[in-house]
Amino acid sequence: MPFSFSRYLFLLFFVLSASIGFAQQYRVSGLVKSAAANEPLIGATVAVPQLRQGTSTNATGFYSLTLPPGTYDLQTTYIGYLTTTQTITVTNADQTIDITLQPTENQLNEVVVVANSLQQKLTENRMSVEQLSTREAKLLPALFGEVDLIKTLQLKPGVQSGGEGSSGLYVRGGGPDQNLVLLDDAVIYNPSHLFGFFSVFNPEAVRDVELYKGGFPAQFGGRLSSVLDVRMNEGNNEQLRTSGGIGLISSRLSIDGPVVKDKLTFLVAGRRTYVDSFTRVINKLNEDKKDYNPIPDYYFYDFNARLNYKPTPKDELTLSGYYGRDFFVFKDSGFQFSFDWGNKTGVINWRHNYSSRLFSNTSLSATAYEYRIKNEIDVFSFNLRSDVKDLTLKTDYEWLLDDKHTIKFGASGTNHAFTVGRLNFSSDDNSLNFGAGNNYSASEFGAYLSDDYKINALLSLNYGLRVSGFNNKGKTYSALEPRAAASYNLTENTTLKASYASMMQYIHLVTNSGASLPTDIWFPSTQRVKPQRSQQVAAGVSKLFGQGKYLITNEVYYKWMHRQIDFRDGANLFVNDSLENEFLFGKGESYGNELYLEKIKGRTTGWIGYTLSWTYRQFDEINEGRRFPTRYDRRHDVSVVLLHQLNDRLSLTGAFVYGTGNAFSLPVARFAFQDVERKEPTVIPIYSDRNSFRLDATHRLDLGVVWKLKPKHGEADLTFSAYNAYNRRNPYFVYFDELKDEQDEKTIGFQAKQVSLFPVIPSVTYNFKF
Amino acid sequence: MKRILYLYLLPLALMFGCNMEKDIEILLPEHEPQLVVECYLEQGKRLQATVFETSSYFDAPTPPLVPDAEVYITFRGKRIKLKYEPTTSASGKRFITHTSTTRMYGTPGEVFGIEVIDGKGRKVTGFTTILPKVPITKVEWKFNEKDKAYVLTSFQDDANATNFYRYMTHRGKFDKGSSRDFAATDELNNGKTTSYGSAYDYVEGDTLTLTLYHIEKQYYDFLQSTDDAKNANGNPFAQPAKVKSSVQGGIGIFTNLVYDRDTVYISK
Repeated sequence: MPFSFSRYLFLLFFVLSASIGFAQQYRVSGLVKSAAANEPLIGATVAVPQLRQGTSTNATGFYSLTLPPGTYDLQTTYIGYLTTTQTITVTNADQTIDITLQPTENQLNEVVVVANSLQQKLTENRMSVEQLSTREAKLLPALFGEVDLIKTLQLKPGVQSGGEGSSGLYVRGGGPDQNLVLLDDAVIYNPSHLFGFFSVFNPEAVRDVELYKGGFPAQFGGRLSSVLDVRMNEGNNEQLRTSGGIGLISSRLSIDGPVVKDKLTFLVAGRRTYVDSFTRVINKLNEDKKDYNPIPDYYFYDFNARLNYKPTPKDELTLSGYYGRDFFVFKDSGFQFSFDWGNKTGVINWRHNYSSRLFSNTSLSATAYEYRIKNEIDVFSFNLRSDVKDLTLKTDYEWLLDDKHTIKFGASGTNHAFTVGRLNFSSDDNSLNFGAGNNYSASEFGAYLSDDYKINALLSLNYGLRVSGFNNKGKTYSALEPRAAASYNLTENTTLKASYASMMQYIHLVTNSGASLPTDIWFPSTQRVKPQRSQQVAAGVSKLFGQGKYLITNEVYYKWMHRQIDFRDGANLFVNDSLENEFLFGKGESYGNELYLEKIKGRTTGWIGYTLSWTYRQFDEINEGRRFPTRYDRRHDVSVVLLHQLNDRLSLTGAFVYGTGNAFSLPVARFAFQDVERKEPTVIPIYSDRNSFRLDATHRLDLGVVWKLKPKHGEADLTFSAYNAYNRRNPYFVYFDELKDEQDEKTIGFQAKQVSLFPVIPSVTYNFKF
Repeated sequence: MKRILYLYLLPLALMFGCNMEKDIEILLPEHEPQLVVECYLEQGKRLQATVFETSSYFDAPTPPLVPDAEVYITFRGKRIKLKYEPTTSASGKRFITHTSTTRMYGTPGEVFGIEVIDGKGRKVTGFTTILPKVPITKVEWKFNEKDKAYVLTSFQDDANATNFYRYMTHRGKFDKGSSRDFAATDELNNGKTTSYGSAYDYVEGDTLTLTLYHIEKQYYDFLQSTDDAKNANGNPFAQPAKVKSSVQGGIGIFTNLVYDRDTVYISK
């Protein structure tokens, strides 16, 4: 059957137009703003409880409700702000009502307010979405005291880390390369520092995060498994603010405020680790010791900046950027090895309100990720570099057609430029000079149309279609990605939801590490390397109980993954001009059940999550074609997060996690390889089935205390935390050791050893704001 | 400053001071032993081979012998049977199970075969094609200000063939393990003068033996895959690697060793 996009579009418009109706109702609309910063609040909930009707503010902070004449309570809630309720009277005319929310005074209360949005969470037709504010993340105990939004998201059901301490995200059986990570609409290709132990998001610069695990809205595309939408703070419109923290391994600082009140605000934030400052001192103290091996320098930093300009009440221009870099440097006489990597992004964004019913959001973004390895020995130099650079133009429109339909449509186009394994090996006298590597240029586009359709008070539907395409050297791929989500209010406090999403991924991460490493490179679809595809269905039920204090949600999902990618045994992924020949293609599936209970009011708040899941891959050339579990196939995953406010100044927090051990491969046999003369014999392991063993279960308790100080100016607190409080030695990996006789070095046996990473790690962080 | 340093390092010391490794018990599945064959042909040298079996990982470390294994080398229409006679090589480093008084003489391009059968009906076969020698054209070294020297060994690659090399260096007594050993392809320097080097590893007075093997692709693949398999054990980021043998029906390597060797005395 020939490709028929027009047929799908026609069908979609037909359904749209057939379902559009008109009633005697009037529009109540306006802006929701923060009283502290006078900035619009995106995603705030505005509801009329009597009519069980509500909406969320859009990207400009704008809301719109269509109501019949009458007198109602208009209730507005937003994370970190006090809920407001005001009485409104709807007569026979549209009206504008702007709403200002007051921020809560301390961080713990802010978390309590999160729960106020549970009513909206219950009734909205979105599902499989996790939301998190920086303020929420800051309360929880963290490894080395470093607040990390991604690690906090790992405490949510359906989201796993790659290993202990890792900031990688494995969402519903997907790999870390299948997450679309956006920072203010710009793609972040490698969202981690320090070989994956910390994420690139400075908590001082980030306002909130949304993670879509399924039921993806049609405006998102390009990755199979999740969308991580990170939004930066906008900058205070009222006064100059400074906030920051001094921690065990890094410090951070953020300054924001108005340049021209109500017109122009700015934010700058930075963060840097200082382990290298101490290791340099240690190296200096030991430099005269003959056998001393200097500790290599390692540090990372990142920098965020944002300007918000509102030339008219209907327009907002935003300029934002990120620059982050990791450095690993080792120097000795005549020898220097350096390895650095990082992301940089820049976004120009224009939001425009055409009317109280039509809004647009247009952005031009540039993003780049690269790593460089430089090795210099005397006159010889060895350089290896890979990078990916994108330039993306995107526009999104939101049209509040009537009280039943919100139409969203838009398009995006991206130009990708890849440098894959660019190697140069040379000498000063040019006696040696050779290189390798490939450059690729590709373009990707997407267009979508969706309708948020409130069929009646009980049933709502979001359905849409995304068409996507990719071109590389004349080879073009295109696909239709239908999306749908439905919500049905079974009772006042019980909702049933279901969703379907089809996703395409046209660029691929070249890695055989099973984890996200800085040397992993991105590679475009080509004639031989076809795009990956996934389809996911999910269904769930949510129930609000305990007078709105608790929300329990249960979701089941099934995900098919086609044209999954792996690599041949022993594939050379670093320097290979024929990299495509190393790819293997297979399929995958993932399914499971996620249970999530949130408690939202009272002195004690928190959540309990439990995930039961299965994740498999199958490749003809791996495991003799048999299906095998992925490393992160985790049968049981439990997280319990509790926050308790003792008094106005002291809060206690705790997080307990339990997970089935990772699947991994071990050799089952061995043979002796004597090699040629003048070589020592070695033991060669023989592996059998892929990932056929299981590490022991992982569990850990993290504890924290937040102690509010009373400084002369502003606010401050000391956050104490104990990571892995009961000092559990969680398995990181297992290997087989060769035991040797101390006298004659002969092998006397073999022993399995388990390696753990982190014992109990206490830390303290000083946070301030003025 | 030191106090701050100690305060800072306390958690790190706690982390690194703890023993984060422990012995555990792993129950392995039953293992069906396979034949392991190692046979290198060298110009003018006797035909000899080693035949072992694979072992379950926690079995006794000594490789199991296969006394009823029969080894045959075929070339120029002849089929030479090697006698089961366990012994060690002249250096005492290598264990040999099968030998023959027949010496190997081959010309580049000539194909030799191996066949191993045993009483259990297992059969291993393989072939090797004799390669030409690639001569070392130059050996040079240079000292840094710390009186350490690097060494560079150069040769000319043949542009008309895809070539694979193994480079080894030995310092001091030749019967000790190599200080440098790697295998490489000519993919990035086909037809060019190529140099393999070292770091600043050597001092004045060192005697170095440098060996450049011209090897078959199947030998290169075997070496790479055995390295990958070794590295996968103990590397949490590595995928398990399957050994790519040059023989069929079992595990192992059957190849010919063609090399050029030079011995140099490092002086200023």
